[in-house]
Amino acid sequence: MLIQKGRSFGFILIFVLILLLLAVLPFFADLFYQTFLTELFVWILFAISFDLIFGYTGLLSFGQALFFGLGSYTVTILIRKFGLNTELSLLFSIIIPILFAWFVGYFSVKLSGIHFVIITIIFAIIGNIIGDTWTSLTGGTDGLTFSPPPFRLGFFQINLTDIKGNYYFVLVIVAISYLFLRRMVQSPLGKVFISIRENEERARLIGYNVQRYKLIAFVIAGGLSGLAGGLYSLTLKYATAGYLHWSVSGHAVVYTIVGGMGTLIGPALGAGIVMSLEHYLINFLQATDLVVGVALVFMVLVAPKGLVGLIQSRFKKGETSA
Amino acid sequence: MPERNEIILKLKEVNKSFGGLLAVNRVNLSVGKGELRALIGPNGAGKTTLLNLINGTLPVSGGHIYFKGEEITNLSPHRVSHIGIARTLQITSLFSGLTVYENIWTAVQSRKKFFNPFIRALKWEDVKEKVESMLELTGFKEKAHLICSELSYGDQRILEMGIALSTEPTLLLLDEPTAGLNSQESMALVKKMRSMLSGQTIILVEHDMGVVMELADNISVLHYGAILAEGTPDIIRENEEVKKVYLGSEHA
Amino acid sequence: MISNLAIAILNGVVWGLIMALIALGLNMIFGLLHIINMAHGALYMLGAVVAWYFIELTGSFWIALIIAPICVGAIGLIIERGLIRTIEDKPIITIICTFGLMLVVQQLVLMIFGGSPRRITPPIAYRFPIFDLQYPLMRIMIALISMGLMIGLWIFLKKTKYGLWMRAVVQDREMAVGLGIPVNKVYMWTFVLGSALAAFSGVLAAPIVSVEFMMGREVLIMAFIIVIVGGMGNLEGSVLAAIMISLIQGVGALFVPPSVATIFALAFMIIVLLIRPQGLFGE
Repeated sequence: MLIQKGRSFGFILIFVLILLLLAVLPFFADLFYQTFLTELFVWILFAISFDLIFGYTGLLSFGQALFFGLGSYTVTILIRKFGLNTELSLLFSIIIPILFAWFVGYFSVKLSGIHFVIITIIFAIIGNIIGDTWTSLTGGTDGLTFSPPPFRLGFFQINLTDIKGNYYFVLVIVAISYLFLRRMVQSPLGKVFISIRENEERARLIGYNVQRYKLIAFVIAGGLSGLAGGLYSLTLKYATAGYLHWSVSGHAVVYTIVGGMGTLIGPALGAGIVMSLEHYLINFLQATDLVVGVALVFMVLVAPKGLVGLIQSRFKKGETSA
Repeated sequence: MPERNEIILKLKEVNKSFGGLLAVNRVNLSVGKGELRALIGPNGAGKTTLLNLINGTLPVSGGHIYFKGEEITNLSPHRVSHIGIARTLQITSLFSGLTVYENIWTAVQSRKKFFNPFIRALKWEDVKEKVESMLELTGFKEKAHLICSELSYGDQRILEMGIALSTEPTLLLLDEPTAGLNSQESMALVKKMRSMLSGQTIILVEHDMGVVMELADNISVLHYGAILAEGTPDIIRENEEVKKVYLGSEHA
Repeated sequence: MISNLAIAILNGVVWGLIMALIALGLNMIFGLLHIINMAHGALYMLGAVVAWYFIELTGSFWIALIIAPICVGAIGLIIERGLIRTIEDKPIITIICTFGLMLVVQQLVLMIFGGSPRRITPPIAYRFPIFDLQYPLMRIMIALISMGLMIGLWIFLKKTKYGLWMRAVVQDREMAVGLGIPVNKVYMWTFVLGSALAAFSGVLAAPIVSVEFMMGREVLIMAFIIVIVGGMGNLEGSVLAAIMISLIQGVGALFVPPSVATIFALAFMIIVLLIRPQGLFGE
């Protein structure tokens, strides 16, 4: 009981510290760095939403790009074509992917293992093809640019064309989403997801409607992936059909594996490290994916639980020897 | 003592075929409330398949299954769990990466209707209390923090039963609980089982005849998917056909 | 119209036979080793790239057709011994690991071969008339070679000792070990064979599509879909599914825009997966 209290206190402390650090950063960092971090926050959101279904529920989907792309296009099209305000557009960038995730998930969760992986990829490919070819709507791979109006909530207003404003906007939303997911995975619902990952049949035998809960996890992940896509487009003021390609899903997989699946800090850490690596190496190598690939193979062989897993086992070793 | 006035489980002309193979052949069975019915038979006789049909893991090819008078034929496994039937498996099936505490928790939690995503699970007092009492019952209070895979095989078998009991079943389907244990360990498990049970109706699939004779109120013998004989342990012990087919083959 | 249809059918069959080779290799690796090899498309691409280099060197397509698969088979050997052996029993880990491998191979090729697509001029330029259009003989040759390879594979599996060992290990690994079959060797050579088959497809595909470092990506997904639809472990199923899917796409493209045809093929696949997850021809 005390350990629980201690842990949550520790988490709150660290979380608040990191938030403060990030909040203060724009006063010291240049605009380029701020943009990089803003994008990093978005990818963190995408990665943790992926880990909800992968690390926590045990479903490997290479198709999350579909929802990311849907979120990004929803925001872009609603603002650009329909002149809708930013607040509602962002809301719809969650709702529309949720509806699609419900549809895709409904069929996909009837399957398991490799079949689930394949069917989610197929849905994503269909989405990708539609995105590439329905150019009147999506602009194809050339994409669509737009200029979002300021985000308004009550009396509060934030200007998204201002890089610093954009930075804080994304930071706050991603932080809230992180806390939301954290509470969820510790909740009774989270326990159900975890039990499905651990032993699907046993979960079914003790009375959990496994398909229903897989679908719930899938829909939530889809909604958050959509939110990530929406935030991405708001930041870059741009959407392209390329966001729907399954290699985008691959990013989430890489960040999660490198950082540590089955945790929330893992994907966040993984995203931070891998993106920083890519960003740094692009000065030397054209082929940043090479490093990503090597990192992935290395991690999977040496540390399948990711960096977080490595750190955790260090602590465990410390405990037993002390 | 089994009360003969209420039939908890009734199988009527239950059939199961896989392609050309008839695994369960027109089985009729009635188990009374509180009874411990042992289901024995040679390997491949269809015992596990029969359990799978009862708890919904497999659909029947024909026939009906009634639980407390209501038809439950082909009900899906998770619904079967909620009407009061729990199942253990021959090959231990636990949440292997989780601790004993979490395993029991997951099982106890399953009885609830709604899983709130906004509260911290471990603050759910209701569930917590029940988990503590189940830990008490199964004797795992000291080992609650251990990960399942760290438990001894015998302990894992006990935990498997503990998980089943945590779902407050009226009927327990036990599939070879002593599988993989030597006779000493089996007797220890039986003793432990006795202390954990409290009047549930039980169908026990077993190979260990010592355990069967010790525990069973009645025995049903399954051979090539059909009921060969039924009766009290004494009757079955003397049954010539059974001896030939099953007990005899052990001596041969 | 008829000539268009005839050409679409021919193209569908030719491409289907090429995809069948890739799918066969993938299926062998999956059916036997239960390994989901995400790098398979990269091996296909390597076959084409290595062939391109050999053609530059020797000027002969036919030499490249023989040598490239041998080279890629050797690479497959290294991969199997170095990587796969350590993780073969954990499916999710192998998916991710081979995905990483795919990225590495693609990027290495990008750095060495470059990013722009290159063409391979077919060794046979002759086009024969079909109705009022012309069809390249080369494609017929490709189809015939592919069929020849498949027949060769069939003979290998059904008639040779190694083929027998492979089938035994798929059926019952423990029994195979008990019978003294060198299971580890079988695993290794199966992976090599699968890789070589992927490379063969790459070489055969090269005159039709162009050679570039990304060419494996879309092919990979199609190969998986074919394997699943045809039935995992069911080799004949893969061949049938490959041709079927290619035909649907090819002929469909005559009546609807090609992307729509592809979407129909994909939607068909989803339905198959849901109704018969073991594949159309699997049990």
